[in-house]
Amino acid sequence: MSKQDDERFIITVKSNNKDLLAFTKLVSIRKKRFKEAPSTPITSDPINELAQKLHPDRQHLVISEIKEETKSTKTFKLVPDPDSTTEGLAYFRAGQYLSLKVDVNGVDITRPYSISSSPMDSFNGFYEITIKKAEDGFLTEYIWDNWKLGTKVVSSEPSGNFFYDNLRDLKNIVGIGGGSGITPFRSIARQIAEGKLDINLTIIYGCSEEDDIIFYDELKELEKQHPDKIKLVIVLSCEKITLEECEQGFITADIIKKYTDTNNSSFFICGPQVMYNFIDKEIEQLNLTRKRIRKEVYGEIKDISDFPGFPNKVVGKTFKIKVGIGNQIKEIPAISTETVTVAMERAKLVPPSSCRSGECGICRSLLVSGDVFISPIIDGRRAADKKFNFFYPCSSYPITDLEIIVPRSIG
Amino acid sequence: MSKEITEQKFSDSYDTVVIGAGNGGLAAAAQLAKNGVKVLLLEQHNLPGGFATSFVRGRFEFETSLHQLDSYGPEPKGGIRRMFEDKFNIDAEFIRVPEAYRLIINDPEEKLDVTVPFGIDNFINTIEKIVPGSKDGLEKFFKIAEEIKGAFGYFARSQGKPDQGVLLKDFTNFLKTAAYSVDEVEDALNIPEKARLILNAYWAYMGVPTSRLNFSIFSLLMLSYMNNGGYIPKKRSHEFTSAFDVKIREFGGKIEYNTRVEKILVEKNKVIGVETSNGDKIKTNYVIANVSPTLVYNKLIYPKSEVPEIAYKEVNARIHGLTAFCVYLGLDISAEELGLNEYSYFVLDSISTEKIYESWSKLQAPSVQATCCLNNADPDCSPPGTCILFMTTLFRPEVWENVAPEDYFEIKNKIAEKLIISFEENLGVNIREHIEEIEVATPQTFARYTKTYNGVIYGYEPESWDSITARFMNMADEKHIEGLEFAGGFGRRVHGYSSSLDSGYTAAQFTLRELIKKGEIK
Repeated sequence: MSKQDDERFIITVKSNNKDLLAFTKLVSIRKKRFKEAPSTPITSDPINELAQKLHPDRQHLVISEIKEETKSTKTFKLVPDPDSTTEGLAYFRAGQYLSLKVDVNGVDITRPYSISSSPMDSFNGFYEITIKKAEDGFLTEYIWDNWKLGTKVVSSEPSGNFFYDNLRDLKNIVGIGGGSGITPFRSIARQIAEGKLDINLTIIYGCSEEDDIIFYDELKELEKQHPDKIKLVIVLSCEKITLEECEQGFITADIIKKYTDTNNSSFFICGPQVMYNFIDKEIEQLNLTRKRIRKEVYGEIKDISDFPGFPNKVVGKTFKIKVGIGNQIKEIPAISTETVTVAMERAKLVPPSSCRSGECGICRSLLVSGDVFISPIIDGRRAADKKFNFFYPCSSYPITDLEIIVPRSIG
Repeated sequence: MSKEITEQKFSDSYDTVVIGAGNGGLAAAAQLAKNGVKVLLLEQHNLPGGFATSFVRGRFEFETSLHQLDSYGPEPKGGIRRMFEDKFNIDAEFIRVPEAYRLIINDPEEKLDVTVPFGIDNFINTIEKIVPGSKDGLEKFFKIAEEIKGAFGYFARSQGKPDQGVLLKDFTNFLKTAAYSVDEVEDALNIPEKARLILNAYWAYMGVPTSRLNFSIFSLLMLSYMNNGGYIPKKRSHEFTSAFDVKIREFGGKIEYNTRVEKILVEKNKVIGVETSNGDKIKTNYVIANVSPTLVYNKLIYPKSEVPEIAYKEVNARIHGLTAFCVYLGLDISAEELGLNEYSYFVLDSISTEKIYESWSKLQAPSVQATCCLNNADPDCSPPGTCILFMTTLFRPEVWENVAPEDYFEIKNKIAEKLIISFEENLGVNIREHIEEIEVATPQTFARYTKTYNGVIYGYEPESWDSITARFMNMADEKHIEGLEFAGGFGRRVHGYSSSLDSGYTAAQFTLRELIKKGEIK
């Protein structure tokens, strides 16, 4: 021991006394600093304030205008509800959606709708969403009957990853839209026209009826004003066509090749489920890398029992789910072909949800026991969530009785 | 309000409420629940972990903040590994990262490109080869670090009442360096300037220039990394934070996400309960706050008359640490094809830590980035033919205060692009053609998900007067409210993953002791 001590290195930083003295003074210096500091409370938190402006927990809106776009489509203009705490609207990236909470006969349900207005319009105090009737059965039916001027709607922050990113995407963007899937491209086109987005946009828009082309006049006008930036190609699947300068049939690889520089473009695709079923095969023929294809999520799957892997024997069955939510434990019924989120909404448990597609993860819950069928389209779960049996109720279907623990909606 | 919403509210009483499921809160809740305490862990976000989480874009899952966890080596068994394996049996797989770091300095005055290994001897020998004559100083550096570690062990064993004689005799080097900065001690050790550039690369993990950074905390960090190596969880940080979640429930604890605590109710200097944004009114006499004292004293304690003046002064005297800026890249090319062989890169435009700190005070691409290529630690972390790059730099939060929402996306992509270009130029690789997924996180992003004050990711800056030693020595005088303990990066152990985890465990131990003393649990 003593030998080791002899060899032991002892540092001198300033001098032996000063070093030891510095140590003994540590606490008194600390106390002195405290004593001399101001006692003013901190009342502002600017970074959180900006974060809240960009990403509010919720936005309280009210319908200020309703426009009939086509025989099946309406645009709803939403402004901050003057009776609420919402003052300004969150800015967004063209292509993002709002998840709207709709009270349907006492049952709160959520639906994502792409914002069809331009991002700058959020500073002008409004968002627009454009809804096509019947694409989402009972809900649009309800909206058509009940949404009037002055109807209040609660919305999420602008969400989703379906937007142009200059570091990732090529400057030539091909927007492939079907039905109401045109809405994000209207927002993008408007932002281009405002000079706020420096890209070239070719919209290939598939419609089933000539008199049901959403935003036709407006997009044509934008094309005329910005011929080098915006191009519109209409593809009509109906038999009788009077419209000039359009393609007939569906959006095929040949049509895409005819109007775009496929080797030098990024592809953004948005439409209903049926369109994806078709377009996926056409896009495949273009031999694009994954980097150049972005697809918007499209909400809940219509007929989950048609998907391979869904156990046929449970079709038509109703299971029991024991839900732990907050301090409440409740047993609720759940139909196998409806998502767990729908079952909870029907039971008025007000679970959290946003994208309704298995992507955003807001509904993340714990599956304590039982088994679910998970949407084969998107399973956006983290690897560890899979490992520990966390799941997304918005895209999971009960195929046995379940016990689950669900977070409450954010308060 | 519907009947269901009312029924979902919490109104019972709990032995302890833990606020925040970050690293500190998770460790605290686990330790309490394991010991039979009726504990409720409340988290405002819908995930555990705070900064220690992950997110998915396309076919990639990104790590949000961890570069490498220290204290996780198997031999000698690091403190965090002991906590995870022996205390809680946390079900998470960790992978050792291949090297300490590759340091690239591109300053007009000094060019350097060196890859340094873990292991004290290997580390010293690598530097000695590049900078002959540095070995002696570096060996002394680690000897002092060992003694500092020993001193903290002794503090813990003596339950905060160390014998002065023992300290003077056995831990002289600790005493003599405790009040000094990294620069002051390294000057005294005569470590050559160039060797110090290599030795001090991890200073950015502390976020304080070496002229102000306390030596004790930095040398402990170095010792831990060099002795134990660096580790990452196989399935990103979300793996171990989710494993904690599952474990806390298994121990009988309750966790509630999406629930923001709005008030810590205090009466006559004692915690009596908490209230949340969801309308919960919970009775409790003990709160562990995985929240900064800044927010607890300025925002949470209710009524405000219960906040002592000195608490405001303490907060105002301390220097709030930095916030971060991260670029997460999913590339459609493999690391091998890119020619990237290392996991951890520090790329610096300047040799001066003060100049770099200054560069964090302007709205521009800063002079440093710490970039990880996850695939070089875990080849399976992304699909074949792809790789994940994760770039981090830091900022003073004030820099981002006046960014207007309409400029926000453009500003963040401009800074991200500069970081990408800097990496491309320094490593001679082409990244921009291969970006399949990109996400850019700014101070606002960190604020958004964690609600930390001003988006700060580190705690208070550990200058000597506010580093680990001073915080522990003055601990008793800084306890203002009975039943309230702090955990996390703003806690006594200074920031970082392992410190935050440790601080949570310690806070739980203090609370446990009180609960037992008061006979509230056995």
